[in-house]
Amino acid sequence: MTGLGTHPGSDIRLGAQRVTKRYGSLVANDGIDFSARRGTIHAIVGGNGAGKSTLMRILQGMDRPNEGNVLVDGQPVTFTGPADAFASGIGMVHQEFMLVPGLSLLENLVLAKEPAGLLGRVDRNAALRAAQDLEKLAGVCVDWDTPEEEAPVHVRQIVEILRLLYRGADVLILDEPTAVLAPAQVRELITLLKKLRDEGRTILFISHKLDEVLALADDITVIRAGKAIASMPVAEADKAKLAELMIGEILARPSAREGKAGKPVLELSGISAGAGRGTSGLKALDLCVRAGEIVGIAGVAGNGQDELGAIITGLRQAGAGKVRIDGVDITTLSLAERRAAGLAYLSPDRAHEGLCLVAPIAENAIASHHRRPEFCAGGVLKSKVIADHVEALLDRYGVKRASSQLPAASLSGGNQQRVAVARELDGNPKALLACQPTRGVDIRGIAFIHQCLLDYRDSGGAVLLISEELDELITLSDRIIVLYGGTTTGEVTRGDARVEDIGRMMLGDATS
Amino acid sequence: MSSLAIENPSSRFQTALTVVVPLALAFLGAAVLLALAGHNPVEVYRLLIVESFGGTRRIAATLAAATPLMLTGLATAIAFRAGAFNVGVEGCLYVGGLAAAYVGFTFVGTPAPILLPAALLAGLVAGSAWMFIPGVLKAKLNVDEVVTTLMLNFIAISFTAYLVNGPLLAPGAANSATPVVDAAARLPRLMPPATLNAGFLIAVALLVIYWWWGKRTALGLETRLAGLNPRFALASGINVPSLIIKMMLLSGAIGGLAGAVHALGNVGRFVTGFSPGYGFTGIAVALLGRGTAFGMFLAAILFGALSASGATIQLFSDVPIEIVSVLQGMVMILAVARFGFLVSTKRRS
Amino acid sequence: MIENVLHSALIMTTPVLLAALGGLVNRVGGIVNIGLDSMMLAGALIALILASQTGSWGIALLGAAGVGAILGLIMSICVTRLSANEIVVGLGFNILVAGLVRFFLKEAYGNAGTLSLPDVARLPRIDIPVIADIPFVGAIFSGHDPLTWAAWLMVPVTIWFLRNTRMGLRLRAAGAAPHASRALGLSPLRLRDASTAFAGLMAGLAGAYLSIGVVGIFNEGITAGRGFIALAAFYFGRNRPWQTAACALLFGFFDALQIRLQGRGIPAELIQTIPYAMVIVVLTVMALAARRARAAKA
Repeated sequence: MTGLGTHPGSDIRLGAQRVTKRYGSLVANDGIDFSARRGTIHAIVGGNGAGKSTLMRILQGMDRPNEGNVLVDGQPVTFTGPADAFASGIGMVHQEFMLVPGLSLLENLVLAKEPAGLLGRVDRNAALRAAQDLEKLAGVCVDWDTPEEEAPVHVRQIVEILRLLYRGADVLILDEPTAVLAPAQVRELITLLKKLRDEGRTILFISHKLDEVLALADDITVIRAGKAIASMPVAEADKAKLAELMIGEILARPSAREGKAGKPVLELSGISAGAGRGTSGLKALDLCVRAGEIVGIAGVAGNGQDELGAIITGLRQAGAGKVRIDGVDITTLSLAERRAAGLAYLSPDRAHEGLCLVAPIAENAIASHHRRPEFCAGGVLKSKVIADHVEALLDRYGVKRASSQLPAASLSGGNQQRVAVARELDGNPKALLACQPTRGVDIRGIAFIHQCLLDYRDSGGAVLLISEELDELITLSDRIIVLYGGTTTGEVTRGDARVEDIGRMMLGDATS
Repeated sequence: MSSLAIENPSSRFQTALTVVVPLALAFLGAAVLLALAGHNPVEVYRLLIVESFGGTRRIAATLAAATPLMLTGLATAIAFRAGAFNVGVEGCLYVGGLAAAYVGFTFVGTPAPILLPAALLAGLVAGSAWMFIPGVLKAKLNVDEVVTTLMLNFIAISFTAYLVNGPLLAPGAANSATPVVDAAARLPRLMPPATLNAGFLIAVALLVIYWWWGKRTALGLETRLAGLNPRFALASGINVPSLIIKMMLLSGAIGGLAGAVHALGNVGRFVTGFSPGYGFTGIAVALLGRGTAFGMFLAAILFGALSASGATIQLFSDVPIEIVSVLQGMVMILAVARFGFLVSTKRRS
Repeated sequence: MIENVLHSALIMTTPVLLAALGGLVNRVGGIVNIGLDSMMLAGALIALILASQTGSWGIALLGAAGVGAILGLIMSICVTRLSANEIVVGLGFNILVAGLVRFFLKEAYGNAGTLSLPDVARLPRIDIPVIADIPFVGAIFSGHDPLTWAAWLMVPVTIWFLRNTRMGLRLRAAGAAPHASRALGLSPLRLRDASTAFAGLMAGLAGAYLSIGVVGIFNEGITAGRGFIALAAFYFGRNRPWQTAACALLFGFFDALQIRLQGRGIPAELIQTIPYAMVIVVLTVMALAARRARAAKA
């Protein structure tokens, strides 16, 4: 690890000292040391769930660390809220913008620090003068009378940045600022940030787009699994090195068992979907998952994975293209009909979609199967049959529970996910769409769920696995398809999967 | 808007607290009011208990007063369960009551085994139809059902008032009442001369069915899941919009039935000012009973006891009967308040 | 004849307009106030009592406004601090306050429902010198009381307040994006409390208008659901003050019309349903338009 403190004459504006933050059993930040020099752009890179955003929330006073300190100008401080951080000159632009719809951009700029005159009247002229000064300072042009909701996304972002300057912040924290921007706008943003830095401000910026990081940053800190893995000046960094640090040593090797792929089960042809806020949509995607095969989808978040999942489940309609299961066109069917056609769906959002946390474990385990003839006759549930079935199912999947009648919220994250997996694999579906199947799950749980997926595959199931965990994809997948910008940039098969290749494809380089 | 869907209690003790605390605070508040007005609260409460439960006839009066509340509470709970915030049961009660009365006084001479069920059915259908528009608007267009159902209450009250002052006004009557329904359409009294009638049995039977339905049927399970977590329900393949429409219709049907029972059992006709706010008290019943059949049964009896005994204690002790409304209003407000901050200061913003 | 109807339409508009403007500000701040009717009722009673005892309509108005504001604040605290559902609390307030008012009437005056007091100071009528003499116009616009003029003056004032003042800006932010305004160090809950207290104040004045402005007596049905008509007005006016005022005027006109039409074969009760039905129609049309806009975007 290269210490930044060794730079002669450096002056640390903002830092973290042994910062640890736990959410329940999840350790989001694990003793992170970090320091940003005054007047530099400091990039924080890392995969999804590495703990970057948590660290930024702590630095900005939104969260408080369980252990360790935030350091401002070298002194430990305790922030009780964002207002405290502001008082220390630290402001943040969140991924989901914090502008208020219904207010004009000018009103948003001055909100909570309005220049006011008689009777609390907002001095519009003073506000406009301040806005124009900021425009000049930043070298941008903004139509201040536009209502927030009508302003294009890059303008809103600039207003957020100017608002921090207006409120006197000299440390700007930007969470994935380029995720929502087109390439030309990214260049504008980079110019703006460099200008602000040259005037002496300190900028922290989170990204997983390595090209931008290398183009913009002075220093880079890599975070992985809640730990600060490395810090280095940009001169010592290159893409390969960063990618390796971000992903880490892949201990997982492809499992010895190779699947025996059979006939096509889940087929997508020419699927398109419009782009959303921070997502790329899908562009004429073709995909086929065969019986007895696990196909993994790799890609940086926002490159079409969410749309892919939503279109397969029918929670969103495709702009164009067809989805088939076992040869049956399901493109226009409801999710209930798709489930009846043999689709199972393991949601990436366990807390809100995968489970109903306030409902009993047993109801979570039977939902979506409860109308099957063996469980239900004439609309009446066969309670005894269901109870026996659920108990056996939960036992088989090793769900540790005091009682199946307790709310699912009473389970640990890993056991919750076991309930979801148990339910989805119950009844032997033809195809399983598994999204982030081990997110927030403990190590034993991960191994167990992986085993479940492999067993299901070996019994002839077709699995489409969407995951942000590269090692998981490599361990499980018979083929890995890489998505970038809504299209396929490459495909590797079991045994040929090399982290470096996949990493490169994830960043947009097509393979040979 | 915070969710009002029926949740699973995390523990029996906590559930008990969420019921006992608002009740205790409401009775405490009313006691202060009584004391300020120069009454002895202990004496008033003692009288209330005696007048509600002291003897068969008083119990019968209490149960009679509780009958419409069981039904309106049930109607409200069914919609809440599906995640639809229906505050329009009062309106259903009006249109249902009028429809039942209409059948009851129009087809005079029809034998009771036909006329009574037909009149009840008319109330049921009218109430259900009344909830069709807000149900569809919520499910298909996501129009706020609170506003639509609230507005429909006033429309129902004015519209039925128009009908009983005009086309349906009883001949010879001065104002605002339909003719009396045929004896064949009256709900039989269980313990004459007490007003307690077969409507009570209907209400209890429906509560039992509701309990069974929620526990043992696929639709009951789906409704609960949809109310607790619509995204989960959708991902489980449940057609949430269609479920919301169904439950709004069912809620309206039971609200209409409440009106029919009130018209055919208690009033014997339809008059303006037909309901003393049964629909709104039903919301309090559903909230206090936490949406469970047994809980709502008890809550309805509590409010029934208050209104039945309130009238008599006014005679005996000149405590105004309005103390009942004061209690109802406070219970309603306090039943949805969260007193979590008393035990924990975490998670407050 | 017509000028008389229009004159009384303006009278019937005033209470609805006052309460609707309060409810509008409240809703901009993020709370739908279903309890306006209860605050109106309390205001009406207090105003009558004070007007009789002090002989001053000014003190009566102050008292009514104060009582309304206090009720509004209590209601708001239930919603913002005890996380109670605003709809249930609003409905509960209507039941509770109606009960309290009748309880009080019986205890203090020993009568049920109606209260008639001696020496009630009524709101004065202002005859506008020149306009009063113009035939048609004078009959409509002259002879109104100060509260009516204040209510209409409040329309541009509300616009100005929401658009141009610091509080107005922050209130809009608190209603539209509480999370964002908290992140800026504002206190959206406190702003909401203030806006609900204001709504209560306005509703209290509306009640005072009914008791010491229109009739000079109080009865328990004096509001006749006008708190809910006010709700309909600001829903129908989609939170814009002039549109809301126009709706209040329209509803006031219906109100005046149905009083005139009583006993003339045109059912007054049906006219009473119009404001409520209009709200449902408007919400439906808005939802359809929103859906069409979404469809066009996709």
